[in-house]
Amino acid sequence: MKRGMLLAATVSLAAMASAALAEPLKIGAVLSLSGPSATAGEDQRRGIELAVEEINAAGGVLSEPVQLIIEDSGGRVPSALDAAKKLVTVDDVPVVLGEYSSGITIPMGTYVVQEGRIHLNMGSSSGKVRDIGENSFSVIGLDRVSSGYAAQDLYDLGYRKIAVITPNNAFGQGVAQEFNQAFGGLGGEVVSSVLYTEGQTSYRRELQQMDRTQPDAYFYSAYGKEAATINREAFELGLNQTQWYAGYMSMCTSDSQPEYIEGQIGYDLNFIGDNGQAYEAAYQERYGEPFVTSFSGYAYDAAKMIMKAAEHAGSTDPEALRTALTEIGGTGFEGATGTILFDESRQRSKQPYLKQKIVDGKAQAR
Amino acid sequence: MLQFFVDVILRTVDLALIAVALSCVYSLIRFPNIALVQYATAGALIALGLQTLGLPLYLAIVLSCVITGLMAVVLSVLIFEKLLDTSPPLAMVGSLAVSMIFTAVFLVTVGPRPKRFDLEIMAPVRWAGVSITPMQLVSVGLTMGAILLFALLLFRTGLGRSMRATSTNRVLAEATGIPTRKVINGVIVLSGILAALGGISISLKGEMGAQLGFDLLLPIFAAAILGGLGNALGAALGAFTIALAETFVTNVNFGWVVSQDFYFLPASFATIVSFGLLVLILLFRPHGLLVSEVKRV
Repeated sequence: MKRGMLLAATVSLAAMASAALAEPLKIGAVLSLSGPSATAGEDQRRGIELAVEEINAAGGVLSEPVQLIIEDSGGRVPSALDAAKKLVTVDDVPVVLGEYSSGITIPMGTYVVQEGRIHLNMGSSSGKVRDIGENSFSVIGLDRVSSGYAAQDLYDLGYRKIAVITPNNAFGQGVAQEFNQAFGGLGGEVVSSVLYTEGQTSYRRELQQMDRTQPDAYFYSAYGKEAATINREAFELGLNQTQWYAGYMSMCTSDSQPEYIEGQIGYDLNFIGDNGQAYEAAYQERYGEPFVTSFSGYAYDAAKMIMKAAEHAGSTDPEALRTALTEIGGTGFEGATGTILFDESRQRSKQPYLKQKIVDGKAQAR
Repeated sequence: MLQFFVDVILRTVDLALIAVALSCVYSLIRFPNIALVQYATAGALIALGLQTLGLPLYLAIVLSCVITGLMAVVLSVLIFEKLLDTSPPLAMVGSLAVSMIFTAVFLVTVGPRPKRFDLEIMAPVRWAGVSITPMQLVSVGLTMGAILLFALLLFRTGLGRSMRATSTNRVLAEATGIPTRKVINGVIVLSGILAALGGISISLKGEMGAQLGFDLLLPIFAAAILGGLGNALGAALGAFTIALAETFVTNVNFGWVVSQDFYFLPASFATIVSFGLLVLILLFRPHGLLVSEVKRV
């Protein structure tokens, strides 16, 4: 008890001390503004931008306007690392948000954490994100949950033989493996599981191999542009006669022509929680269209959360931010995507999903 | 089985025109121009640009071929022939450098996202278990037509005769009054047109991006060498052979080897096949499958 009070006193003393020499909070972000995931990357940028504008309009953090520095990863690991290096060494940011694809988030986050800064993951769901390190937090639920959800959903719909196609990276391998386990456990069979090489202009061969195993449904989870190629070629090969099931619907369909994806079913992140209406309205007003993908809300929440942590800690020091984030995430942060609660390894512990179907080119609840 | 055949043809079409162009230029100026694969990308992107400006597609294609052909001859006169005066390997390295500049230019002007021609979406035609899209048929027709025309030009016209004479012995050809300078430039324009058409035909049935040409570098070289560098029509046959090998590796079910119902090699193994074939050919038949007058690769 006494010790607790002492601790509280030191913390508040430290907070006061640092508040006296408060610097403006600098938020760095590495996003896929070009490359196969550019649509989602741009949507993440919008989310962060909205959050920062909102806070700055209300007086900023620690009485200073927040500075936002965004770098493009081009959807490639080397460029993402260069971008993170620039943010850490040149701009000296205490926190880096990003990336989108798990294959990039993991090396990028690992670098940021090694440099003693805070990493916030807001778009990647590979289970390996958990191991990035002490200073890394996720505001988005990881994969064990989502693949199990898809397996159960497909099984309940009566499908028993599934062909799976996912990208050959940390994300895709994770999804395929978890799905295979979950679906096998339910008594179904994964008849073929293809890991595709990212960035190709054709996936015809992969699709034909899957077709040969005569599945009764296809389960895929692919990045925007690549998913568009897969959807087009599946259509051209007539594979869309069989049911397609999308893991992360808005990621899979954001860049596809409506004709190619008609009738697909799948799940997506529930990207609007109980407190999300204000954000949804702000987004619509600012960009003149409904949400493009489901990822902007997570970016918005990540930015809001780190700003709240800085205010809470009264400092922009990474150590203080980490303590503050752990505290805020421990009691639950009310974000636009719902309540964000961290588990003991700093990952979002609960993640609600939506069941969707594409009707007339648009995703609807089913 | 029919599907297998269709896949081989579609892949051949990807490679054939550019490989023919490569081989054809080599027959005259004795160096393999790596930048040719970039002419393919340039051709497709220029055609797309023209279509975006409001030109009908067929006109955009014709105009783009002309522009690319002219670009090929300008680059050849300004850069490659000067390098070639020093040595052929130098010219080849120079062409690699030029093609890297091309990639950078594509990335800056068009960006890294793949693009498509503005085409109506048409349902595939299904017949005997094979599905083919109308655009794939157009692409096959375009390629076969171009190769046929090229063969006619080579073997049935005066220009073709001059070309063949120049490639066999330039000094002798010049002595007999053939304007070799003009013939060479003509062939380079032609190679640019063929490459552009190759890129366009790939993009018609799929998409185009900054990496379109460069990704094809290896199979195209393998095809051209297989056909005997310098033997233009041999390159088309080479393309067919490479396509056959690639399709065999990825489309055949090897389940019986590992006693499973299905086992396919990953599609990325297709590249390994072109690599492997290239090494084997260079080791055992450096002059290509068809014997040609070329003595050095």
